[in-house]
Amino acid sequence: MTTTSAAEDSILSVRGLSKEYVTKGSGAFGGRKHRFLAVNDVSFDVPRGRTLAVVGESGSGKSTTARIAAKLIEPTGGTLVFDGQDVTHPDARALARFRGDVQVVFQDPFSSLNPKHTVERIIAAPLQYQGIRAPQGTRALVRDLLDRVGLNPDHSGRYPAQFSGGQAQRIGIARALAVNPKLVVCDEAVSALDVSVQATVINLLRDLQRERGLSYIFIAHDLAVVRQLADRVAVMHQGRIVEQGGRDDIFDAPRHEYTRALLSAVPTINPEWDRARASMIAAEERAS
Amino acid sequence: MTAPAPLLEVKNLTITFPTPGGTVTVVDDLSFAIRDNATLGVVGESGSGKSMTSLAVMGLLPPGGRATGSVLLDGEELLGRSERELRRIRGERVGMVFQDPLSSLNPYYTVGLQIEEAYRAHRGGSRRAARAVVVEALERVRITDPARRADHYPHQFSGGMRQRIMIAMALCLEPRVLIADEPTTALDVTVQAQILDLLRDLQAQTGMAMLFITHDLAVVSQVAQEVLVMRNGSMVEHGSAEQIFSRPREAYTRVLLDAVPRIDDPFGDLRRVSA
Amino acid sequence: MVGYLARRLLSALGILLLISLFTYVIFFLLSPDPAVLICGKTCTPDRIDQIRGTLGLDQPFWVQFWDFLRGFFVGRTYGDGASAVSCPAPCLGFSFQTNRSVTEMIETRLPVSATVALGAAVLWLLAGVGAGLLSAVKQGTWWDRGAMMFALGGISLPNYFVALILQYVLVVQMQILPFPSAVPFGEDPVRWFQSYLMPWLVLAFGYAAVYARLVRANVLDTLGENFLRTARAKGLSGRLILRRHALRPSLTPVVTMFGMDFAGLLGGALITETVFGLNGVGKLAADSIAKNDQPVIMGVTLLAAFFVVIGNVIVDITYTFLDPRVRIATR
Repeated sequence: MTTTSAAEDSILSVRGLSKEYVTKGSGAFGGRKHRFLAVNDVSFDVPRGRTLAVVGESGSGKSTTARIAAKLIEPTGGTLVFDGQDVTHPDARALARFRGDVQVVFQDPFSSLNPKHTVERIIAAPLQYQGIRAPQGTRALVRDLLDRVGLNPDHSGRYPAQFSGGQAQRIGIARALAVNPKLVVCDEAVSALDVSVQATVINLLRDLQRERGLSYIFIAHDLAVVRQLADRVAVMHQGRIVEQGGRDDIFDAPRHEYTRALLSAVPTINPEWDRARASMIAAEERAS
Repeated sequence: MTAPAPLLEVKNLTITFPTPGGTVTVVDDLSFAIRDNATLGVVGESGSGKSMTSLAVMGLLPPGGRATGSVLLDGEELLGRSERELRRIRGERVGMVFQDPLSSLNPYYTVGLQIEEAYRAHRGGSRRAARAVVVEALERVRITDPARRADHYPHQFSGGMRQRIMIAMALCLEPRVLIADEPTTALDVTVQAQILDLLRDLQAQTGMAMLFITHDLAVVSQVAQEVLVMRNGSMVEHGSAEQIFSRPREAYTRVLLDAVPRIDDPFGDLRRVSA
Repeated sequence: MVGYLARRLLSALGILLLISLFTYVIFFLLSPDPAVLICGKTCTPDRIDQIRGTLGLDQPFWVQFWDFLRGFFVGRTYGDGASAVSCPAPCLGFSFQTNRSVTEMIETRLPVSATVALGAAVLWLLAGVGAGLLSAVKQGTWWDRGAMMFALGGISLPNYFVALILQYVLVVQMQILPFPSAVPFGEDPVRWFQSYLMPWLVLAFGYAAVYARLVRANVLDTLGENFLRTARAKGLSGRLILRRHALRPSLTPVVTMFGMDFAGLLGGALITETVFGLNGVGKLAADSIAKNDQPVIMGVTLLAAFFVVIGNVIVDITYTFLDPRVRIATR
């Protein structure tokens, strides 16, 4: 297992992270206890301004890892260092600052947006929780953010149900951006979207990273999507990181057996057909 | 060269639902045909009407749904048939596999019983006789130790195994047509590859016709010889898989193909979509 | 499974001990001096001291509670010498009012409450599950609306009100039934049936309403399940789909509710028994509370707690048979 040598240039460094769940038997006098290590000795660095993708199948522990990284759940062991500060056991002030610096975008856009609140209220909510006053006023900021994520700023008075899945996910992204975070944790953020919508959201995430210098932890099961976004990739299997490294190293020269199995299972369009289409497109472009 | 008569033929299928705001058309004038031993892939994004089409073929539209046009199975009209007549066709002549195998199996009964009842609903006979069919059906979908596993409950299987059981159930009467509605969408990628392999092998063995519904273009390119692209209830493009993927004619098909993230091509075609 | 059973029974015993302690504390702290109550109007301080000694009331709390527990499990003797009174296990003490053994009082009352509970349970299961099924299967029809109106009535009308109306109509106005008085079955089966019929109907009405709504909601939920679509796609008949695939998931939760409701009723239907003058445990509880007869209150409280706790265990065990997911998890 390798980690980046340039640890000082990481926005987030975690070392030896683990999460154990203990299920207790029924009855007041207990039964046999079952221990389950959802995350087992996981270490990684998120390079500043870049994207670390954590990939794995269901039950691999990737979502638990994401939640620990965002401090939504407490790890059983290990340390987290965010922006040079140890945030493993932060005091109230440090935690509040962390909450402003790290935002999460979830998989299901609708269930993570309160259906009874207007878009403006949803996007402005993190500002309120953080006690931040937008210099140009909340309304202007919300309009700005909506415009930035490709939504009509005049729709800030609408409710989530009036938007499509892709639009709702853009609202979720706008909400994450409202407090100007340094790190955004995307937990399967594009998995529920239709393929054409997915592509535009991926492009949006990429553009935002370039503009604002955002860092991402991108949790996904879809390796093809990960290839579009990631700088570094960590492959998880049964709670452990089996392999991590630069994106092209992982995709082009996977070393671990499991990574190879995962990559070879990804369905691809017949490469001959793809090449034929590429040459057709090229021919059309020459003709026009 | 005369083509053999299609096994399943859908002509001008239109599906409507009444709503308080008037009638809504979810599928509009759709036509296609599938022959023996062939797979038609129906591709579309959410709301394209692809799943409604498969339910209409089975006569299983949700309450209020109305299908017009023609659905011919072996030349026999299915639309307008009575529930009793349709019941004899479901399972016996057309099998169906759904997206989420866990919720598609009844948690209260063993998988053996759930396969057995499918068989006995059509062929009758004793439970003992049906038992042999159950074990054989499980064996065919490569479940090890089928005689013992038949007495297990759905939650005792993994996701991939459950989908194998659904396939065993759909095929235990050897129907000539299998409708697979997003059969691998809920599965992990390694498991998906196994299920696709299994479906291909079973088709090679039985020569059944397959209607494969999915949102995933890469998946459809691996299983279908013919592809039908749908959008908002209408057909966009219909042709051989080779033609659709290498020489797409319609703009929407091209958008879809451009949007597919390529594992072998970072920052490739995705760029074009935002433009 | 055996381990699970043992654990469940052990924890049930623990809960019962806690309840008895809790009840004992309440009576110990809150009630007036029982010795004064027993002594009556012609009382002397000597007599009170004597009673205290006999009942052990001069002992500290823990000793009294220990004596009570010991009395329940192995029996105890009040006083000593010639005036000693023995109280065999399970001893719950003697009524301050009648001086009778509480255990005996409960023993004579329990069959009445059990009869009330059993008859009502049969009626409400039939009516409640039936109405619920009917309205779910015929959703939106007049059957559905009718059944749900009936259920609304059962839920909103208080027990005693229904009891009084029924009594007025059937006994006073139409004179179909005699005024209820618990006649033993062996004495006169017809009178027995007549005297229990009204309590059954009144109790069953309220419960049936709740069950009808629960069953209806459960069946409608189940009808929307994916596995029902699978069942239809297999070509199963509508009757088989309903009987096998829709009913079992819908009725399993009813078992939990029934277990708790029935157990609760065995501890006495306070209002119904009082209104109809049936000498069941519920009426005993009402009377003893009115007269501050502590040992009796203590006895009926523990009895009710016992039924509820045991009912709970039985429900959980039944569940392992009904739901394979639970069965395998408890292995």
